[in-house]
Amino acid sequence: MSATELLIELTLMPLVAFVVGMMMVLMMRRIAAKLQRRVGPPFFQPLYDIVKLHSKRTQVSHGLIHDIGIVMAMGGYIAAETLLPVPGMNGIAEKGGIITLLYLMMIPSLGLALGVGQCANPNGSIGIARALTAMLAYDIPLVIVVFGVAYAAGTTNLIDIIATQQAGGFETWGVTQMPLLAIAGLIAMHASLGKQPFEIYIAPAEIATGPMVEMGGKYLGGLFVMQCFQLYTTAVLYVSLFLGGGTTWFDFLLKSFLVLAIPMSIAYLFPRYRTEDLLRLMWKWPVMLGLIGIAFVI
Amino acid sequence: MMLTLLDELLLFSGATLLVALFIGRGLAAGWMVTILYGGQLLALLKMAVLGYGGGTIASSLSFEIMGQELSWRFDGLSWFFALITIGSALLSSWFSCGAWERSYIRQGGNIWLFHTAMALNVFTMLILLASGDLLSLFIGWELVSWAGFLLMVLAGGVATSAAMRYITYAMAGGMAIFGGLALIYTASGSLQLEAVTTAVEQMSGAKLWLLVILFGGGFGVKMGLMPFHLWQAPAYAETPGPGSAFLGAISSRMGLFAILLVLVKLFGIVNIESLKLPFTPIDARDLLAWIAVFTIILPTFTAMKQNDARHLLAWHGIGQGGYMLLGVVVADAMGGAGGLLHVFNHATYQAALFMAVTAVIYRTGTSDLNKLGGLVVRMPLSFVVLLIGIIGLAGLPPMNGFVSKWLVYRSLLNQGMPLLFLAAVIGTLGTILSVYKLIHNIFLGQLRVEHEHVSEAPWSMMIPMLILSAIIFVTGLLPGIPLEWVASALQTVGLPVPDHTLGGIESASGSLDMIWVIGVLFAGFGVGALVFYSAGRSKRVHQLDNYAGGHFLSADVRYQYSDNFYAGLMHLIGGWYRGSFLWLERSIRSLVEFLSLGMQGLYRRANAEFYLLTTALFVIAWVVI
Amino acid sequence: MSSIKQIPVVEAKRTNPLARVFDDLVRFCRSRSLFILHYCTGCGAIELPPAMTSRFDMERLGIQPMVSPRQADILLITGYVSIKTLKRVILTYEQMGSPKYVIGICSCTVNGGMYWQSYATAKKLDEYMPVDLYIAGCMPRPEAVIEGLQQLMDRIHAGEANSWEDYYRNYDYYLGNQQKLFGEDWQTPTDVISEAKHYDLLSNGTLGDHTRLLEQHQKPLEALEMRLGHEQKEPAK
Ligand code: SF4
Repeated sequence: MSATELLIELTLMPLVAFVVGMMMVLMMRRIAAKLQRRVGPPFFQPLYDIVKLHSKRTQVSHGLIHDIGIVMAMGGYIAAETLLPVPGMNGIAEKGGIITLLYLMMIPSLGLALGVGQCANPNGSIGIARALTAMLAYDIPLVIVVFGVAYAAGTTNLIDIIATQQAGGFETWGVTQMPLLAIAGLIAMHASLGKQPFEIYIAPAEIATGPMVEMGGKYLGGLFVMQCFQLYTTAVLYVSLFLGGGTTWFDFLLKSFLVLAIPMSIAYLFPRYRTEDLLRLMWKWPVMLGLIGIAFVI
Repeated sequence: MMLTLLDELLLFSGATLLVALFIGRGLAAGWMVTILYGGQLLALLKMAVLGYGGGTIASSLSFEIMGQELSWRFDGLSWFFALITIGSALLSSWFSCGAWERSYIRQGGNIWLFHTAMALNVFTMLILLASGDLLSLFIGWELVSWAGFLLMVLAGGVATSAAMRYITYAMAGGMAIFGGLALIYTASGSLQLEAVTTAVEQMSGAKLWLLVILFGGGFGVKMGLMPFHLWQAPAYAETPGPGSAFLGAISSRMGLFAILLVLVKLFGIVNIESLKLPFTPIDARDLLAWIAVFTIILPTFTAMKQNDARHLLAWHGIGQGGYMLLGVVVADAMGGAGGLLHVFNHATYQAALFMAVTAVIYRTGTSDLNKLGGLVVRMPLSFVVLLIGIIGLAGLPPMNGFVSKWLVYRSLLNQGMPLLFLAAVIGTLGTILSVYKLIHNIFLGQLRVEHEHVSEAPWSMMIPMLILSAIIFVTGLLPGIPLEWVASALQTVGLPVPDHTLGGIESASGSLDMIWVIGVLFAGFGVGALVFYSAGRSKRVHQLDNYAGGHFLSADVRYQYSDNFYAGLMHLIGGWYRGSFLWLERSIRSLVEFLSLGMQGLYRRANAEFYLLTTALFVIAWVVI
Repeated sequence: MSSIKQIPVVEAKRTNPLARVFDDLVRFCRSRSLFILHYCTGCGAIELPPAMTSRFDMERLGIQPMVSPRQADILLITGYVSIKTLKRVILTYEQMGSPKYVIGICSCTVNGGMYWQSYATAKKLDEYMPVDLYIAGCMPRPEAVIEGLQQLMDRIHAGEANSWEDYYRNYDYYLGNQQKLFGEDWQTPTDVISEAKHYDLLSNGTLGDHTRLLEQHQKPLEALEMRLGHEQKEPAK
């Protein structure tokens, strides 16, 4: 692959991720609206929000780290997208592999954690403490799932993982080969999105949206952008691990949206767990399913 | 007689000790000692061939005691550990010169003793690393133990009891090692390294088990392996700042060195693997791996509960030791490389972290995580150093800790060890939680009124910290540099070597190229920054201009979250902290006390003839049987 | 303060057609994405849930509730404002990010309503902060609320909803009224004057007798700048 081609891929991948991510945000809000028998926001609402937030006159900063936190939150995901193969574009996926990708996906939230820390608002700090606790909760099943998939495929290279799944059609998909791991992965993925019933760190009525409490203008806008990336990355990662990736853009996007619609439709039916209940839930069911699933794989 | 390169190094190191000993009282002494450490580093670099391919360099010093020949030599493994030892000594000593030294003296510390103890530590460690047979290993081991004690006891008060606890453990460990030596000596009649291999061949399974336990336990004490970990955190944390940076960086890795030398190189992982634990499917290697994993998890989660920055770091030091042992006992190409590389990486970030915390103590007078906050605006460089350090400690890209942990994970994945893998990841996640608490409570959040006039640490402290940060980043970007040394060390102990490039690891089952990963990461940050900074100019506001549900904030009321940081998590797991090991330690202590009381009573009451009689009876019984 | 509206405000003219398109886009997005902070002071708050939920669904207009003042564009004051509450309302208003809009719902915010005789309520909200829109009624129905919000959206799109600038331009006037109510040592944590300078909105009405009074007792509010200096600074005695 020539350098220009690679460069084009590296620019296109985050861009596509952002656009698709915005549509995913829209889908999320529409699903919420439908479940609550509302009309929901117009098609371009996510874009309106982001443009408006970036164009606010007041941009309240609590210091340099506050700014850098937002930059890292966006930048980390932009980097992560290039490790996530999509139909026709592999980016630099083979240079990192899935473990690196998982770690890169932590960078945005940790960058954000730094930024929130400098806001000097205890609501934000509590939010981050809870977010990290939630990470401890859902990452354990997630890691089991990733281990199972990578071990079964014999590689940590996402391109190869996708290729082995596509080799034999639906029968060789991860979800048919390792259904238990797929279920555990779905639960972990739901929790990693931070939606109800797992949104312990947003908790608007309790800690005033936690990490976002002192974020206004482009700071909040950066977080909205980050959310687009987060939805996209999570969905695509799941599709790559269990649903055979995508051969064409059509089935790739279809699978991604469908797989994301599952947690979304569940989310808005529930109130919120307490932190320790979330931990208990995450460490019990998905971990159990995942370990049994791994036992089948090995 | 020609001096070999190793002689030069040891002489240099001895000279450093003498300089510290005789002129260590003057204020320039610190600089002098530091320069001499630099000399030692140069002498070591002259032997760099060891780090790039191997061979051995012998010392011309050797003599015989009771028919046993004692000799000293350096190989790739020793060189690798010596590099870390001297490097961390150089930077810690540099850190201690100037401003820190003055404040230490002002607080009544004995700087002469400090420099001497540091120099003694380095000297004894080099002797240990150079040991060419089991007897010299044992001598070096004891010397290192006592030198460490000297450094730990310096601060007095709490430190004394921590150091006493350490030396009790160390002596017990030393006894175990001595027992192991005696076993080998009886089996093969020699204490040369080859003797071990012959002894291992002849031994029955039960005897070999005993040897593994004696050596593993003895060396494990120094490493702070479970269940011998209790001494380490308080002992390291209470050592004066640069001393704790040095100890935290390398001291307990001497245990890993000895384990590598004796258990891996001489016994061979294969032999250890053949030892089955009766009635269970696990063997001695699994046992070691599980010990490593518990050493990762439990101290890490103990660290999370600490409210003192130094104690928090010291507990993590124990936990990270687990990763090294884990990688080494998995013992495939990636695992061994990961374990050894982690020794290097850990030394760099742990030293940087302890130094940053010491800088904070220097300026504010406290390391209590509930009495700090918001210091990033006053000590931004220290913040950066601490940040780089914790990213390394948590093992996240783009710092070096990520590479070594990645290697350990990959080896566990390749070998199909899901539970160990999971446990290693749990340790990492716990580390992330705990280091965020560290950086948040010191540098983020609200700045206290009494810290408004604090300023950045002086350059004499800042420069070594920045050098360390640079090393952390560069070896994260180009892990190929230390991997060369690691490869040479791995060859020495007979472990396989992974295919490595400048940017990471080549492997058919998924490679890693940090140059690309970090390049893309920073490109991503660049794009993020472009988006962020192209939107409106931001306005800095005062920290009291903050959301508080409509409440008017004032400087005299703290608006900060620091205590019981992970309250929700502790709701669930708080009850799991049982302090069982503390309880075990206490019960052993009271048992010993009770026995000694009993003996005392017996001794007082009974008469001498009775003792003579019983002793005689025992002797006769022993002879007859 | 009606006279203020007559002061000519010189708008920077942008001649580049692309810039005009861009400005229009920004104004359009601003009007189609409004985050409200509902300061539920009085009875009027009860009309907001129906306006937000399935019956009237504000989200289809791009309006959604937010939690902290930093995130919000609209401050909804939903009823009578007691003096104690007013302090918090002002604090909240000053912390919001401009362009920001204030909507007074209920007659009580217009002129005191049925609490006219109360010693403890502020009568006219626009004496203390610029109000973009009043929605009168005791209390107004959700239809009226939505109608009002749509009017605001139109004005934002047309670029007319600039009353937030008035707070900076005539800070002395608003501060004077606030001081009259809360006493002379009244101070909010936000440094409004330096913000006015930051936005280039400093004008004749910004500083005056009242701001001088404020400066006499004001606790310093400059941001804690990041400092690289290595010398230990002795605290100023
Ligand atoms: S106008 Fe009527 S409904 Fe509204 S706050 Fe006043 S009294 Fe209550």
